[in-house]
Amino acid sequence: MESRPLVPLRVVHLSKRYRLRSGGFVDAVSDISFDIPAGECFGLLGPNGAGKSTAIQCISGFYPATQGEVFINGHDVHLHPKRARRFLGVCSQEETLDSDFNVLDQLVRHATYFRIPTRVARARAGELLERFGLSDKVRDPVESLSGGLKRRLQVARALISDPRVLVLDEPTTGLDPDVRRMLWEVLAEARARGAAILLSTHYMEEAERICDRVAVLANGRILDIDSPQRLIATHIARTVVEEEVRPGVIWKRAPNLEDVYLKLTGSRLGVEGL
Amino acid sequence: MRLPDRFWGVWCVWRRYFAVFVKSLPYYLVTTFLEPLLYLVSFGLGVGSLVGNVHTQGTELTYRSFIFSGVIAQTVLFQGFYEGAFGAFVRMYYQRIFQAIAITPITLTEVLWGELLWDASKATVAAEVVALIGVLTGDFPPAALLTLLPVAFLSSLLFSAMGLAAAAYSRSIDELSYPQYLLVFPMFLFCGVFYPIDALPGALQSVAWFFPLTSVNSLVRTLTLGLPFQIQSIAILSAWLLALVAVAQRSMVRRLVR
Repeated sequence: MESRPLVPLRVVHLSKRYRLRSGGFVDAVSDISFDIPAGECFGLLGPNGAGKSTAIQCISGFYPATQGEVFINGHDVHLHPKRARRFLGVCSQEETLDSDFNVLDQLVRHATYFRIPTRVARARAGELLERFGLSDKVRDPVESLSGGLKRRLQVARALISDPRVLVLDEPTTGLDPDVRRMLWEVLAEARARGAAILLSTHYMEEAERICDRVAVLANGRILDIDSPQRLIATHIARTVVEEEVRPGVIWKRAPNLEDVYLKLTGSRLGVEGL
Repeated sequence: MRLPDRFWGVWCVWRRYFAVFVKSLPYYLVTTFLEPLLYLVSFGLGVGSLVGNVHTQGTELTYRSFIFSGVIAQTVLFQGFYEGAFGAFVRMYYQRIFQAIAITPITLTEVLWGELLWDASKATVAAEVVALIGVLTGDFPPAALLTLLPVAFLSSLLFSAMGLAAAAYSRSIDELSYPQYLLVFPMFLFCGVFYPIDALPGALQSVAWFFPLTSVNSLVRTLTLGLPFQIQSIAILSAWLLALVAVAQRSMVRRLVR
């Protein structure tokens, strides 16, 4: 079954079960479904071990799904990975930069995997490096870059093929606030070009700020999906939340996405009045 | 000409390795070609001047000719295995190159074929350099350079697959020492590189024939020195090659994909 071609990313009843070394099984992802239309940024929120990275590995087609289907621009990523991944750009949580190449060649080499001609790739790489503030590092070896610069380069690499679907697994972890803002701008530009963005993040403020919709994930299941504003309105009954920020110091503030996250995932961490 | 997608993916990965090879040519010239040359000089000229002639399979040879052909097999073994084992382990575990490429339109299977074919190509070139020296010294006929090519390449592929399988099963790079000391070094010492295996006791000869390097040595000596063709070598090499390529691919996919 092919999906409607206008939906860049469609995830249908996706499940992933791992076999444990001890002999049992664990359901890392259980029956998750969502669509991401063109120009939307969709957030995946969840605590460590919620299944975000496993879901992303299945969505990129690197891990086979135990059940369900993933369509990228209408192509089933597990049945037709080569066709589907032509439209996909991925920035993994781990650093996967190719340390045998310098900063520029890194991007140009990656573009060849998408059958992009070298001349086109060089021009696009130059634009991306300038956009990400890496123009003065063009000939530098990857190993000489700081962690933040490597992260920028890895996001730039995910964009080298101008993908219709951009998957980012915690792309801003460890970045300075100004670099994080720059990345948000880059994502906004990608959205304006019609890219669908799947963003996994630990930063609630980031999700609330840049995601049109978010899915809260725990134990491999989606607990709820909606816009940040509607999730807050649905799950937080009060208009004012009290939070003990230091012993004996109570802050009163408007409810936010973090409150929803904490409530849905069963965490409290000192927040009262949810 | 536009290659079909599947072949293009393998070719693209092979080109990636070639680009790295060219970029780091001085390093690779030392690590790829110096070692067999040292063996040639040490054993061919040094030990060869002490040993004199060798009698095997009803033929009398100079020890230098014998060891030159043995070094071809040894080169295929070391270059294929070490690139497949240590090189691939670094690319898989530390650099995560396999994972980075396999989420593009190139599949993991194609990445692994690209890896194996590159490892085999590099080992083949090293083996041909040794053969060329043998031709220049008059130990091998010039035609051996051509006839040797398919045998050197398929043998290199076999040992690269052995290395890749070892990388897939090793939890750390240190664990690669197990196949290195338990498999590669015994083959190097007992499978006919330095002396004809008919010098070994009968039971050990059978054990030596089980391991693929004996068959590689046999075929290489047929092609370079004109020793009688031993048909079992083709069967043994084919069985090892098919089994190891399948095991290498399957074990590496299992290692990377949950």
